[in-house]
Amino acid sequence: MSGIVCAIRGGPTSQPTIERAIALAKETQLPLHFLYVVNLDFLTYSESSRVRHLSEEMHEMGELIVLSAQEKAAAEGVEAHGEVRHGSVGEEIINLCRDLQAEYAVLGRPGGEREEDVFTRERLQRFMGEIRQESGAEVVLPEEGPAT
Amino acid sequence: MRPAARMARLSLIVLFAFIAAAGWQYAVAASQSTPGDQFLMGRVLDPQDTPLEGAAIRLVDGQSGEVIAEALSQPDGRYALPITGDLPQDPLLMIERDHYKIFGQELGRDLLGVLAQGGTISLPSITLERQITAAFWIATLVFVLVLVLIATGLFHNTLATLIGVTLIYAVSYIGEHLHEGLYIFDFQRSLHYIDWNVIFLIMGMMIVIAVVEETGIFQWLAFFAYRISGGRPYILLPILMLITGVASAFLDNVTTMLLMTPITVQIALVLGIDPLAFILPEVMASNVVGVSTLIGTPTNILIGSFGQISFNGFLINLTPGVLLAFVGLILYSAYIYRKDLGGSQGASELLLERLSERSRIQQPEDLKKAGVVGAGMILLFILGERFHLLPAVTAIMGATALLVWIRPDIEKMIEAVDWTTLVFFLALFITVGAIQEVGLIGMIAALVGRVVGDSLLLAMLGVTWLSALLSMVIANIPFTAAMLPVVGFLTRTVPGAGSKALYFCLSVGSAMGGNGSLIGASANMVTAGISESAGYPISYAYFFKKGLPALLITVGLAFAWLLIRFL
Repeated sequence: MSGIVCAIRGGPTSQPTIERAIALAKETQLPLHFLYVVNLDFLTYSESSRVRHLSEEMHEMGELIVLSAQEKAAAEGVEAHGEVRHGSVGEEIINLCRDLQAEYAVLGRPGGEREEDVFTRERLQRFMGEIRQESGAEVVLPEEGPAT
Repeated sequence: MRPAARMARLSLIVLFAFIAAAGWQYAVAASQSTPGDQFLMGRVLDPQDTPLEGAAIRLVDGQSGEVIAEALSQPDGRYALPITGDLPQDPLLMIERDHYKIFGQELGRDLLGVLAQGGTISLPSITLERQITAAFWIATLVFVLVLVLIATGLFHNTLATLIGVTLIYAVSYIGEHLHEGLYIFDFQRSLHYIDWNVIFLIMGMMIVIAVVEETGIFQWLAFFAYRISGGRPYILLPILMLITGVASAFLDNVTTMLLMTPITVQIALVLGIDPLAFILPEVMASNVVGVSTLIGTPTNILIGSFGQISFNGFLINLTPGVLLAFVGLILYSAYIYRKDLGGSQGASELLLERLSERSRIQQPEDLKKAGVVGAGMILLFILGERFHLLPAVTAIMGATALLVWIRPDIEKMIEAVDWTTLVFFLALFITVGAIQEVGLIGMIAALVGRVVGDSLLLAMLGVTWLSALLSMVIANIPFTAAMLPVVGFLTRTVPGAGSKALYFCLSVGSAMGGNGSLIGASANMVTAGISESAGYPISYAYFFKKGLPALLITVGLAFAWLLIRFL
């Protein structure tokens, strides 16, 4: 197994996650992959006809967010790869971990207004178990190091 | 199939069902005309002096109760009872209509004499008195339920209004058998409340927008703004607000923000500043400047159609006020985000290079064609009123011209039309029609009329600020649809309001009021969704803190202009 997957969303809350992933890449010398997932669920209760076009725009925005993380890694001497996927955030993190046979998955804990976006401790624990079970990757949280 | 696509297809089916039903209804109405030699004519009005359609007018024998002649009042409230043969000694004129008390009047001997000699009589207008039945409370509850479902987001807006329509029909058709007072209206009557001008105008503009958005013009414009500002946030902010505002005056606000937000986030990331410092002023500019044209907001489309206000009408009467409000908003935004705007870490070369690669016109030929057709449409919107060309017709003509000239993938174009929104409007018209039918709107109109009395100033103050504050918590489209008959009544009764000043007050209040809270406008919610996806969530409290002062400033300035213009 090889590689580190770091799921990011951009913004200040993602910075500790990015820094932890870069530090881990330095420690382990494993290739680092930043992942941004385009998810348009917020359109469910409002406009729905612009999904295709907005999806393209969000993809480009995601690429820029990933590129800025790559730029930060490069500044630390770490060469990182970037990937933008579409769909459910959880599923796509697991899919990429599986595709890359990743050893680590670095996750943040985004806070948001909407209930479904908030990784509560319980929900996060469940998701970490899912990642381990589905892909074999060990989950790392920025504030705690490798989770047990 | 994606849920959104499935919803769109179902909506399309519902839309065509409504159109077919409306066509059949008009065919039936046309076949009911009855010729006659002599007539008893008159007009039926409601308590707000609005013509009453569909009242059953009968001339009956006062002794036997036998019906001598009958007719239905027309959309202008007029009726003509065909009189044939001899009249009884004491004929009685009876007028019946659901949700009104039965009216009965004996015809005097002098009138009978005229009729006996083969003459035609025109009676004075008759005003029917309202009757509050169980249907009144049910229609009111259904409307409140729809507002709650929309506000809480428990159901899609379209589904919420369709639930309302279904409840209204269920109560009318099934409940009527249990209790007569439960009847609200039937399917045919409900179709009278649908404003097809609004539906076709929105549909036409959606097709035009679908073509324009593919060209990449918004991305190019935003990046162009970055270049001419030299990357200085204080200069970039008003330019981005101006682009968003002007786009919102011709496209709907939600589409404008869907197109502007992702590119704005990218520009902010390149500059290393908080994207909210640009995004929030942009969405507020969208809510403010969109008010200046007939097609800028769905609420203006509703107001324009109901109040028969032309494209020029909005432009002339609102643009100066909107400009005032816009300048106020720019100054306010620059002030509240002064720390962010002053804290740029300088552009990242790598990110800037990537952004510049992306921000090119994707389809220059299509953009030129869209520009030509768009200019033609604006010209027709402006000149159209001279030859009674409805805005809906201009929109459909423009959309068709674009489709014929550009020949885009028609599947993509059909997909881009938001059928769910069109069905939302259809269902909304029926839901609001139900509360109109049972008398709730009339009651509110009478109450507001009593409060404002003969004062245009008080009426303008009430309509503007009430709609602005209520639009913070109630979806502004259903609110505006419900308020229109009230404003129509005030326009007829308040001295000096014939200038349609109150319609412009409603336009300003309902659209700019959306700035007061995150749920105040759909564009706010969409912007917040995109922003959160980029890691910059906009909380309800954050939006309220920044938005409420913006509401007070912009509505205040626009209202000041309305006072100068109309008082």
